Amino acid sequence: MFSKKHEMIRKLAREFAENEIAPLAAQIDGTGEYPEELRRKIIDCGFHAIVIPREYGGCGGDTVAATIVTEEFTRVDASASTQLMPNSLSGGALMMFGNEAQKQKYLRGMAEGKMIGAFAITEPGAGSDTAAITTTAEKDGDYYILNGRKCFITNGPCCDFVTVFAKTDVNARGVKGISAFIVESAWEGFSTGAVENKMGMHGSPTCDLIFENVRVPKENLLGGEGQGFKICMATLDSGRITVATQGLGIAQGALDEAVKYVKERVQFGKPIAKLQNTQFEIADMATRVECGRQLVYNAARLKDAGQPYSKNAAMAKYYCGDLCNNIAYRSLQLHGGYGYMKDYPIERMFRDARLVAIYEGTSEIQRVVIANHILGK
Amino acid sequence: MDLSQYRNVWVFAEQRQGVITPVVKELLGEGRKLAGEIGTDVCAVLLGKDIGYLAKELIRFGADKVYVADHPLLENYTTDAYTKVITDAIHEYKPEIVLYGATHIGRDLAPRIAARVNTGLTADCTKLDIDPEDKKIMQTRPAFGGNLMATIVCPEHRPQMSTVRPGVMQKLEPDDSRQGQVVDVDVELSEADIRTKVLEIVKSAKEIVSLTDADVIVSGGRGLGSPEGFAVIKKLADVMGGVVGASRAAVDAGWIDHSHQVGQTGTTVKPKIYVACGISGAIQHLAGMQSSDIIIAINKNPRAPIFEVADYGLVGDLYEIVPMMAEAFANEKNI
Repeated sequence: MFSKKHEMIRKLAREFAENEIAPLAAQIDGTGEYPEELRRKIIDCGFHAIVIPREYGGCGGDTVAATIVTEEFTRVDASASTQLMPNSLSGGALMMFGNEAQKQKYLRGMAEGKMIGAFAITEPGAGSDTAAITTTAEKDGDYYILNGRKCFITNGPCCDFVTVFAKTDVNARGVKGISAFIVESAWEGFSTGAVENKMGMHGSPTCDLIFENVRVPKENLLGGEGQGFKICMATLDSGRITVATQGLGIAQGALDEAVKYVKERVQFGKPIAKLQNTQFEIADMATRVECGRQLVYNAARLKDAGQPYSKNAAMAKYYCGDLCNNIAYRSLQLHGGYGYMKDYPIERMFRDARLVAIYEGTSEIQRVVIANHILGK
Repeated sequence: MDLSQYRNVWVFAEQRQGVITPVVKELLGEGRKLAGEIGTDVCAVLLGKDIGYLAKELIRFGADKVYVADHPLLENYTTDAYTKVITDAIHEYKPEIVLYGATHIGRDLAPRIAARVNTGLTADCTKLDIDPEDKKIMQTRPAFGGNLMATIVCPEHRPQMSTVRPGVMQKLEPDDSRQGQVVDVDVELSEADIRTKVLEIVKSAKEIVSLTDADVIVSGGRGLGSPEGFAVIKKLADVMGGVVGASRAAVDAGWIDHSHQVGQTGTTVKPKIYVACGISGAIQHLAGMQSSDIIIAINKNPRAPIFEVADYGLVGDLYEIVPMMAEAFANEKNI
């Protein structure tokens, strides 16, 4: 099903994940700090810039290739996928809507590993209801003056720039009047809140971003004025394939742990893998993981083929958000009491999995998207 | 019971270390109003050791008569001693109404006396009226956490007794020309009557933040701009007799300790007055304070969501508005 080139990328990504990331995963989860050395290695191998075109310093790969890397990384450590964000959220909007100057500066900056990007839509009062954002951008000559607060922003504490969504027309109703801006964190009036203390995904730093009269030059408007919602939705469609892949990766990783454990654990005089309950559990889990995989790669292939994929991405995200929680739960159960201890990786995977059904659109929102595709709005 | 034998409105003149408790002056003012309607006198009941000199002040604030019980064993409040002395005085002088401030002492003392003299007591009243027809006192008090106002009468027994919430009744202007009578009460008390012994009275300065107990909370948010802003907030909180709160944004910025945080992840509060200064009003904050009785919001941004829950909203720079409010409240206090 995969081309030779893709098989090669999988081999490369798997070896890297198992040799470089897996040994550090527990440590990263414990400290919440991503080792700079590991981050450098990921950048040196180009994993972070798989889909960024060569003319902007990336690898020029396709969505399937990026999906493969994400699956292999998240299989050993879900939070490692944050390092791959230039492939999706922070790079996606730029690749689709950025002008040449913006791409050369920010996309290249990320591809060359000199910049870290972030993507900021969510506000304390606007989560699933994106249209409810209250951050404003008032035009002032050649500048826009940004005021507002964004929350739960991945890479917020360490970003060099952020794609931020704000209302340029406060009187416009609903999703109209929203525009997107590229804001550098060094600019005056930009600050960050405290780093959030999360249940899982500890290797992925999250915080509030605060904008107090930040002067944004008009050349940093992304797309046109009022294009914000369109940019946001298009980026999220693409980002959903990535999050679905995280769910797939976590599920596969949890299954791997279960398989390893049931073969070693002896009760009633034999490995518990010899008990029929265990066998049925493993068979069921593996089948479901395979279903998730087909949904994910089908969405990626549709995107690469230039065909509509919004519904398929939502289905993959919805299914895999549930999948990884289901598989992590059952794998932990097969581990028995040991699974509840931090000494075994399944405990970390169980915590990390929970986010997949929530961020980049909750499972409920995914079903709204799917239903709208089938029933019409 | 012959109700006609009972006359006069009594006010328990609670004193601590020779200082009349403020609520007593409010009760004297209220007592005057009630006594005027039923055509009797207002009497204060003063207990303590070497406190006779306070009688004059009680007269200045409206008492026609002051019963003074001066005895070494009454130096500090004890339930046993005070109950015995006042119960004896009620039996002897037969007051029609007895009012107590709903202080810790008043709430302890009044039920004991009510049980001894076998009469009714209404606690923590906020409104007292005389029924124009039969001259009985109608005692109104909040019940079920302030959700229900109950009006209670005590038709058959005397005296009619209430503890009254401090701060709701009006005190009179002190009048040096007012004349009154001082009556010394015979105190029959021995050590054996008192089962409690006061070992030590400790006064602690209140430095600990207790957001849940506070009647007034003045909170600062990100709009303060810097930690120094909390000095301005503190000033207003002090003159309003409240404590300082904060939004999560201000806590995260490291401007103030987490113990001040109001909201879903901080403390949930329900004060009488909540002043939100430079707080945008994210739902996570509103969830922790929106059931406050009165919300006053001060914010530069007229579209800030805080204004949706505010009873009073001021659009402007908090550094101009808050000091003006502090000054206004300080002047109000001096009147």
